[in-house]
Amino acid sequence: MKNIEKKRVLVIEDENHIAEGLKLNLALQGYDVIIAPDGVSGLNQWKKWQPDLIILDIMLPGIDGFSVLQSIRLEDEQVPILILSAKSASDDKVKGLSYGVDDYLAKPFNLEELLLRVERLLTHASWYRKNGDPSEIEPFSLAKTYTFGGNRIDFELSVAYCKCGEICLTEQEVRLLKLFVANKGKPISRSKLLGIGWGYTGSMTTRTVDNFIVRFRKYFEDDPKKPIYFKSLRSVGYIFDHDSN
Amino acid sequence: MERAITRTKWFFHPIFIFIFSIVALAMSLVLYIYWYMEVSAGLKEVARKFNLDHGQLLASETWVVILILSILVGIILVGIFIIFVYNQKIIQLYRLQHNFINNFTHELKTPVTSLKLYLETFMKHEFSRDDQLTYLDYMVQDVGRLSENINRILNLARIESKIYGEEFVVADLVATVEQFITNNDHLFPNCEINIHNSSGRSFAYRINLSLFEMLLMNLITNGVKYNESEKPSIDITFKLYHRRLHIRFKDNGIGIEKTEFKKIFKKFYQSGQADDMTARGSGLGLHLVQNIARIHKGKVVAQSKGRGKGSVFTVMLPFKS
Repeated sequence: MKNIEKKRVLVIEDENHIAEGLKLNLALQGYDVIIAPDGVSGLNQWKKWQPDLIILDIMLPGIDGFSVLQSIRLEDEQVPILILSAKSASDDKVKGLSYGVDDYLAKPFNLEELLLRVERLLTHASWYRKNGDPSEIEPFSLAKTYTFGGNRIDFELSVAYCKCGEICLTEQEVRLLKLFVANKGKPISRSKLLGIGWGYTGSMTTRTVDNFIVRFRKYFEDDPKKPIYFKSLRSVGYIFDHDSN
Repeated sequence: MERAITRTKWFFHPIFIFIFSIVALAMSLVLYIYWYMEVSAGLKEVARKFNLDHGQLLASETWVVILILSILVGIILVGIFIIFVYNQKIIQLYRLQHNFINNFTHELKTPVTSLKLYLETFMKHEFSRDDQLTYLDYMVQDVGRLSENINRILNLARIESKIYGEEFVVADLVATVEQFITNNDHLFPNCEINIHNSSGRSFAYRINLSLFEMLLMNLITNGVKYNESEKPSIDITFKLYHRRLHIRFKDNGIGIEKTEFKKIFKKFYQSGQADDMTARGSGLGLHLVQNIARIHKGKVVAQSKGRGKGSVFTVMLPFKS
């Protein structure tokens, strides 16, 4: 069980005092710790640093914790994430768990409890890793291919088979399609799409999203001017839906 | 909670119940009148049959009965309408209060969480004196934040129950603002605050110093807090217009949507959306500011050219030159 390499823990928390306190304690437990003060930098650190565990706050400036969680889960189903939030209502806990969080602790928390939960989550994760090559485990809970109407998307090969033949999808297109498929039948606002899909925030051009939608319609709709799968909702955003086949 | 309300069945919706009861009432009025006519026609028939004097029996009271019925129904209608309006107001207040609890929970829990975290850390580990001092300083700051939050609630309660404590004194407003900024400089680091008074004169006004300082504190911290510029700046301008003294607080912050100019002064109102967590704070600050301005016989108005273009808060006080 001895690991020469230190386990890496990413703390996404905007309250400096709490973040510093967490870092101090986790470092004393022998973990390597990095603090990200907001959602955007949290996502960047997660991509760059590949942490073994993430401690996530919900009320973050820019992109909120739930969006960060969804964004991570689109690509990595495995990395243990623990939410640490002042929101203690069971509604919030259920919401977090439904987005795929591993553990949820309400603030103010008990230090010992947090440290033990962190240790447990890391141990669990190391078991999975030992049980085989992680690449064998499905990284995303969706099936590898997805079919709607006359279209088929292969997420693994990043290829779409549709009315105009075979199309190679870009990485960003795949992310966005996964997000739509995971939220089938539920409206998603432009800013949410930007936040989860790109990790952007604020008033940065939500037009970017519109351009992607135009492209999707061209690929998948029979008549891009009268979309049936990727529909716009006025003053809300977009909704992806289709009859189950 | 809000979702729970919208999820209730449509026929429980207050507007539907309101319309339904009005329709029911109107129908019952028609039926009353219809039955009354029917019955009186029947009586007339009976009177004619038995050769009674029907002037004695019925007189010409029909219209009186209809009038009284209509008035009663009218009163019930007004009653329903008033209950409906009150109900809507209470629902709105309930939503705002829910919002407040959500936001304020965060504001109260954060310093408590931090304090608890460091106290437990101190119980678990030993630190060098230097480290101790760093963390103790964090704790002192957290206690400060906590007591500030508690004060804000207590201040609101005091202002609403009209107990101000201190007396009103005549003071020069420009000097008061200058003094306030020098005293609280440490609270606005990295922020440039400039005072402009082109007239060069002083403006003596009767103020309650502690309340007026609360107003300044809220307006200036808002300018710094809701600011994404690299160098936040606030320009405070004194200007006399006719019989009004305008004190403008202009910042380079995130600005305000036109639709929110009035709403932001409402109690518990928070700009931003609760679902994406952009709403933060207590929702009390500007409500306090407006109340304090009213206590000083003035008012506060918000202006902005839109999101990202800064905002201007103008305190207007009656002033005879």
